[in-house]
Formats: sequence, C-alpha cells, structure tokens
Amino acid sequence: MQPRSIPQMTGTVLALALLAGGLQQPLRAAKPDPAQVAQAVDQQLAQELPQYAASRAGRCDDVTFCRRVSLDVAGQLPTVEQLGLFALDPGSHKRQELVRQLLATPEYGRRWGRYWRDVIFYRSNDVRALRAAAALEDFMADRLNRNQPWDRIVTEILTATGVIHLEGATGLVMAQLGEPEPVAAEVSRIFLGIQIQCAQCHDHPTDRWKREQFHHLAAFFPRARVRPVATAGGRSFMVFSMDQPRRLRGRRVRLEHFMPDLDNPQARGKLMQPKFFLTGQSLPVGATDQERRQALARWITSKQNPWFAKALVNRMWHELVGRGFYEPVDDMGPDREAVAPKTLELLAQAFIDADYDLKWLVETICLTEAYQQAVRNAPPEQEVPFARGCPTRLRSDELLTSLLQVLQVDLQPIRSRGRRFNGLAAARRRFQLIFGFDPSTSQEEIEGSIPQALFLMNSSITRAMTARSGSMLERLLREYPDDAQAVEELYLRCLARRPRESEKRKALAYIRRVGNRTEAFEDLLWVLINSTEFLYRR
Amino acid sequence: MAWQPVIQARLTRDGTCHRRQWFRYLGGAALAGGVLGWSDFLSLHAAELKKRNRQCILLWMQGGPSQFETWDPKPGHRNGGPTEAISTRVPGVKLAEHLPQLAKQMHRLGVIRSVTSREGSHPRATSLMHTGYLPTPTVKYPSLGAVVAEQLPNPQCELPPFVQVGRSGPNITGSGFLGVDYSPFSVPQAGQMPENARITTSAARFRRRLELMDQLEEDFAREEARQLVQAHRKLYRKTARMILSEQMRAFDLSQEPQSVQQAYGQGQFARGCLLARRLIEHGVPFVEVILNGWDTHADNFSRTPQLCRQIDRPFAALVEDLDQRGLLENTLVIWMGEFGRTPRINPRSGRDHWPRAFSVALAGAGIRGGTVIGSTDAGGFAVEDRPVGVADLFRTFCKALRIDADHEYMTPIGRPIKIVDGGEAVEELFA
Repeated sequence: MQPRSIPQMTGTVLALALLAGGLQQPLRAAKPDPAQVAQAVDQQLAQELPQYAASRAGRCDDVTFCRRVSLDVAGQLPTVEQLGLFALDPGSHKRQELVRQLLATPEYGRRWGRYWRDVIFYRSNDVRALRAAAALEDFMADRLNRNQPWDRIVTEILTATGVIHLEGATGLVMAQLGEPEPVAAEVSRIFLGIQIQCAQCHDHPTDRWKREQFHHLAAFFPRARVRPVATAGGRSFMVFSMDQPRRLRGRRVRLEHFMPDLDNPQARGKLMQPKFFLTGQSLPVGATDQERRQALARWITSKQNPWFAKALVNRMWHELVGRGFYEPVDDMGPDREAVAPKTLELLAQAFIDADYDLKWLVETICLTEAYQQAVRNAPPEQEVPFARGCPTRLRSDELLTSLLQVLQVDLQPIRSRGRRFNGLAAARRRFQLIFGFDPSTSQEEIEGSIPQALFLMNSSITRAMTARSGSMLERLLREYPDDAQAVEELYLRCLARRPRESEKRKALAYIRRVGNRTEAFEDLLWVLINSTEFLYRR
Repeated sequence: MAWQPVIQARLTRDGTCHRRQWFRYLGGAALAGGVLGWSDFLSLHAAELKKRNRQCILLWMQGGPSQFETWDPKPGHRNGGPTEAISTRVPGVKLAEHLPQLAKQMHRLGVIRSVTSREGSHPRATSLMHTGYLPTPTVKYPSLGAVVAEQLPNPQCELPPFVQVGRSGPNITGSGFLGVDYSPFSVPQAGQMPENARITTSAARFRRRLELMDQLEEDFAREEARQLVQAHRKLYRKTARMILSEQMRAFDLSQEPQSVQQAYGQGQFARGCLLARRLIEHGVPFVEVILNGWDTHADNFSRTPQLCRQIDRPFAALVEDLDQRGLLENTLVIWMGEFGRTPRINPRSGRDHWPRAFSVALAGAGIRGGTVIGSTDAGGFAVEDRPVGVADLFRTFCKALRIDADHEYMTPIGRPIKIVDGGEAVEELFA
C-alpha cells in the first residue's frame, strides 16, 4: 500500500480541552489534604483487615524510604549526598517534602510516561505499532509533569487523531492498529480495569458481561482507523476519523461495527449500536467518529462512574505499594473480589474529590503507613495484606538508570543511518528486550531470566565495574584508602544503605582472603550489582 | 538399526566428553552399579534414547513462503509461473524444481498441501502459526516452543529448553503466560556463542564471586526477602551451571568435522540447521531456526528460488543426519511459515499473502515418510481435498510429540486454556 499525503492536523480537540481546563480552574473547591486522606486510608485498612494492626512490620527507616520513594516517584536512585541530607534532616514532615520535591522534578513525568508506554505497548501484537511508543511516552511525560488531571489525559487518548510520532495520544489506538475489537478491549482493561473482551466470542462464564455488551463497546471505534502516510521525516502512520467508507490495507472497512455470527463466520454479522455497558448510555448508528469517541470519553471519565477512578487508584496503589486491592491490576469489575474494598473506595472517592489530580494521588499513597511499611519476611500462613512492605522488581528503565548512576557511565547510543533514529532510545529498547516486563503483571508473576543474569554477569557493563583508570571504582578506592570506609561507600552507592555490621565483616574478610585490594573490590562491586537487592525496590 | 550410527559417530570423535554425556543420560542405578559391560552399556543407551522425551525443530520461514515454488508446484497452469516440477525419491510425488536435495529426502518427509487459515497479516498470522491461537491483547498465548519446553523437560540438559536461532528484533512469539522459564533463548547468529555467555574472569574467580554473593545475601534473605533471594540464587545457579557446562560446546560449530559442515552447505540458515542438530543431540527440547525474507510481493521468481537454495541442502542434510544418528525417530521437524502466497501473479512478478491454501512439511517422530496429505485445485486457489486447519495442524504436532493437546493451562486471570482448542490430528500422516 502506498503512503498518502498528509491531511491537516486536528488540533481543535486539544485546544478545546485546554480552554475548558482554564475555565474550570477557579471553580474548583479545595482538594482533600493528602496527609489526612492517608491517615483515613490506614484507619480503614485496619478496620477491614483483621490482624492488620497487630502484624504490621512498622515504618521503614529514613534511608530505605529515600531510595524507595526516589525509585517510585522519579525512577532513579538517590545520590549518596541526598541520602545523607535526608537522614540528617530533623524535620517532622521531611517524608512529605521529599515526595513533593520528587514530584516537581521532570524525572517524575518521564518515569511514569515510560510506565504508561509499557502498559499500552506490551499488549500490542504488531512491531509496526512500536513506532508510536516514543511519542506516547513524551506525551504522557508532558501531561504528567504539567499535572493534567487523569480524566483529561484519558479523553485525549480516547479521542486522538493525527500522525503517530507527532500526536503521542494516538498511541493506544495505534497499538491495536485501529482494530475496533482490541481497541475496545484495551480501553476497558486499562481505564476501567474490566476484562470485558472475554465476552468477545461467548457470554462470559463467570462474569455478568454478555457478548453483545462487548460488541456494543467496540461499536464506538469502527471509524477510529490507522493508515500509512508520508511525512517530511519519512513514512509513518496516522490515526484518523474514517467517516467515509474506504479500503484500508487492501480490504474494505465498514463504518459500523458488526458482531460476527458464530455459526456463520462468513456472514456480515449483527449491526451494533455504540452503547456503554456500565451505564447503558448510547449513540445512534451513523454517528461520526468524533461524536462516538467524545461521548465514550465523557461517559468513561464521568465522576458518576466509580470504575474509572478505582481502576487508576488500584493500578497506582499496586505500582507504589507493591500489591493491588485487585490482582492482577486490570482484572477488577463487579464479579471480582478485592482485598479491603472499602479502603479502595475511600481512596478512589478522595481522588474524585481531588478532581483526578495524579500528583495528589501519588503524594497521598506515599504518605500512608501501608506504603511506608518495612520489608520483612513473614511465614505465608500469617500473610496479612499490606502489613509488610512488598519489594517490587525494578522496571527496565529504572534498572538501567540505576546502573548508569552507580557506575557513573553514560548510555552508549546504538549507531544507525536510519532517519529519525534515536540511538539512545534504541539502546534503552535493547536493554528492555532483556529486562522489560508487562507492568500490569502481578509482582509474584515477575521472574528473572537467564539472559538477565547473563547480562549482569558478563555483558560489556562489567567493564565499567572494573577498577581501571577513570572508573567509579578506581576513584572510590583512591578517595577511601581505608577498606572499611570503602566498603561503606560502595554499599551506599549501590544499595543506598550502609552495610550491616555482619556484611561489613564478611566483605572485609573476603578482601583479606583475596589479598589483592583492587581485585577484591571489583568482586564486591560485581556482587552488589548482581544481587537480589539491587534488582528490587524495597 | 537406529542407534548404531549414533554410537559410531560418537566413538569416532573425541570419546571422553561424549562418554561422560552418555552417563548423564543413563539412570543413577546404572552408574551406581559401577562396572558395566560394553554391550549392556549400548543397549541401555538405546533404551534410554527410546525413553527420552520427544524433541522438536521448527524451521520457520518468516514472511510466508510460496507453496507454488516449493511443495505444491503447478506447472502448466497460468498460476504456476515458470516453475517446473521434478520427480522425487517417492514415485508419483513431485516437488518444485528448486528443492532437488529435499526431493531426494522425500521418503523421510510428510507434506501437507491443504493447510488453510484465514489470517493474512504477518504479525497476527505469525502468532497464530506459533501458538495455534489468534493473538489478543489480554491473553498472551505461549508459542509451541514454550509448550514443548514445559511439557517435555529434560533434566539432564543444562542448556535452555527453548533455543531460537536467527531472530532479529523483538520477539512476538515468546512463552506468553508460561513465564520466563520457557521463553526462547535467542542466538542471533548460529556459530557464535550466545550473547554474554562468556565469563569475563577466570572460572575460579567467577565461582568465588558467586560464593561471596551467597554470603552477603544471607542477612537480606533472613530479614527481608527470603523467597526473592532463593529465586535469584536458583536463577544464578542455573545460569552459572549453563555457562560453565561442557554442553555449551553445542553452540560451537567448529567442533563438527569438515565433511558434516559441507553436507549442510553454506549460509546462516545452514549453520542454524547444524546448530539445531547439535542442540537436539545435547537434549534441548525445542529449537527454532528462522529464515527471513519470504515476503515476495515483487520478483517472486528470482527471490523464491534463491531462498529455496538457502533451505534445500541444509534441510535435507538435517533430516538425513538426524536419521543416521538415530535421532529422527524422536525428533519432529516442522517446516512452515505464517501463510502461503497468492495463486495469481501480480504485475510486479510477485505473489501476495494467501492463507486459504498453503503447504507445511514435516519429518520424524512417527511421521510416515513419503506421505502427501490433501491437495489444492488446479489453480491452487483453494483446498480441494482434506483441508487441515491450524488447530488440526497443532493437534498433529502434539500427537507426534506425545503431548496431550487437551492439557489445560490456567492463565493469570484464571481462564483455562487448552494447548490446542478443537481440531483433529491428521492421522494419515502417522505410520
């Protein structure tokens, strides 16, 4: 198929959204106070979960909190200086202040922009769609750093049109190549936490959803389509409103959605009206693409729809606390059982009252005792949800950033002559091929792989772990001629904590046994970077 | 006698290493017995070979190979283009002229000319033909390689259970919900060691580092995260065992005699086939070898013969070699791509995507050599006889591999998924 010329961009949608936001601002009531809501959340948890109060691990210490929140909010390790200053700060609100400082850095938007990129693109089955991933990441990073409310971001994503590498909001439609059924499935999964697509082929065995309801949802998207375009920077794709019948990728595409006839797959199937399964709100057949998608965005993001807020709160709680109220995070809905459902409701309602303010939500969750629990072993039979901190595996971006920070090296761009080729992004992607995972996966399902172990054991980064001239280790050894001090410093840099006395003893004994200072410290650095603890936020 | 050549081949090369491997295949009881007569040894080995799980090699033709220029030529018909048909070792069975070596191996091959599907998009059809299911954003189905790795483990094998040779770029056909233990271990270039598989220090220092890690993690494990440390330790042990293992020599093709290398022929795919045989010999349950470039929308009649030259000799040599070593009996070899190509030749002398009727070739693991299943009509537009759907095909793989196709997996969201949903094995293929 030959690329066609590019039509005019539709910027009106965005402009209107910004205008509406501007007008809304002065009418807003004061937002709930994060510290008060956090306290209410903890009280509700204690009420709902018997044994919770009794089996709590207690607050983690300051340095642990500092590493945890730096990774969670900004996707990076704290420096040794930041750790020290934070530990010494006598202020009683220092944890809240640290969260706020991190939320104000551009790294916050970047970290979570990458997160949402992965949420969307790990479920794409087409490598061509990945071309939209960088733009979606940039779009999310920008909106998050400007603290656009969640309903407005989602509206932009649901209604987006344009060239995929210019209009990042088109990413979700592009990830499914504009096919109405998978787009509908993803919209429901990501923004409502409801897996209605199981009803695609048959009425759901355990849920209430009927096959027709899924196809009514798909009927919002038959005109949101993808086609190739030629742009100044080369070939690309665009998401466009197909309000006239046309051929796409060699087949005739209909303007309406038809539910296939299971007994006769060759037949046209049943014409479906756009209808939202949670509320029954509907549009007539024949509505334009933008009418459909705008209406669906309004109904999904409505403050009257509890699932919209709950899905996001559950997801953020899972990502920050390490365990969701519902697991996996994208399988909620009225027929699933939550751990502490009232706590989720309380926090979701406060998030609605805060006008879907995302930074508010991160701050509030980080202030709960549930978030600040220390990580402790517990026999599984005594496991009380949220009573202990759950270590979470670093996402590939955070792990890569941590490695670069600790070893004080820069990412080497991959060279290529391709136009619009970003060598740094490509290097990041290559790393992600090894260390990435779908962020909607439950923590217990995430496992290390052989290529990951091989990479940390033997890849070219191990060269940066040596004490050759100019390396981090060489400088550190020069700066700290005393072995005990050097061990402390290395622990602080790699694991953002001081070594336990026993660890220090073992490390020093090892150094003595090896008898070669440089070699022994190279081994120690290798061990710390290959250790379980380095791979997790705890 | 199937096993005799194996013994000979093993004896003629540096015996010690291989004999040690034999012992690995033998049960602990035989070893405990201490003294073992040579003939006992041989018969035990043969029995062990029979008991071993079946294994599988998938030769994946990325892009969708033309059936007309390979297994289902239509000389004399307008749709056949200039491609001639040639006789094979099996009377009455003809293949396209571009597969002369495979024609000589026809008595070891089973060809299905009536495979039919409805999926004509590369990524979706690639998923379909790897997993047996159409892809969805919500359930990640495991590919056949992961299923075989999970269902047919080999505890003696220190190499990853699913090795994929020749893939470049991201993998859309991984282990899905079966998890990382069964995800493909990628070897981008056959003949080179896998990425990062060489330790950067002496083996002694490497082991010393692992010991230090065990010691230093004790406190973190005891106080905070015992299970995570245990899982991590297990993974590091497994990885270390692999890279320090003598079995890693399987990746080193220079260990093969010149004559064997020559038999497989030149090129990446040839090296991939040779590597596949070595990995199968070392007990790896599933090996996938990928050849890209079959998407011949233009210049089909120069490009496809060229691609055929890349597969003809290596594939033929692989089947013959496996047979001579007694491995074909237990190894299923599958040759396929995501779909076939259009009967009509387009104005650019190309053929476009055609999932309605295309061919798949099989060998080994009980497949009756010389069999041809089904047929297409004179113009190759549609299946005329014995349609074989994708589920039928996957049932056939399972039957050959002795896997229960009705085995149910539970997905993370609690949906039971059968290895194959529906379909029936092509019984006529089996001896």
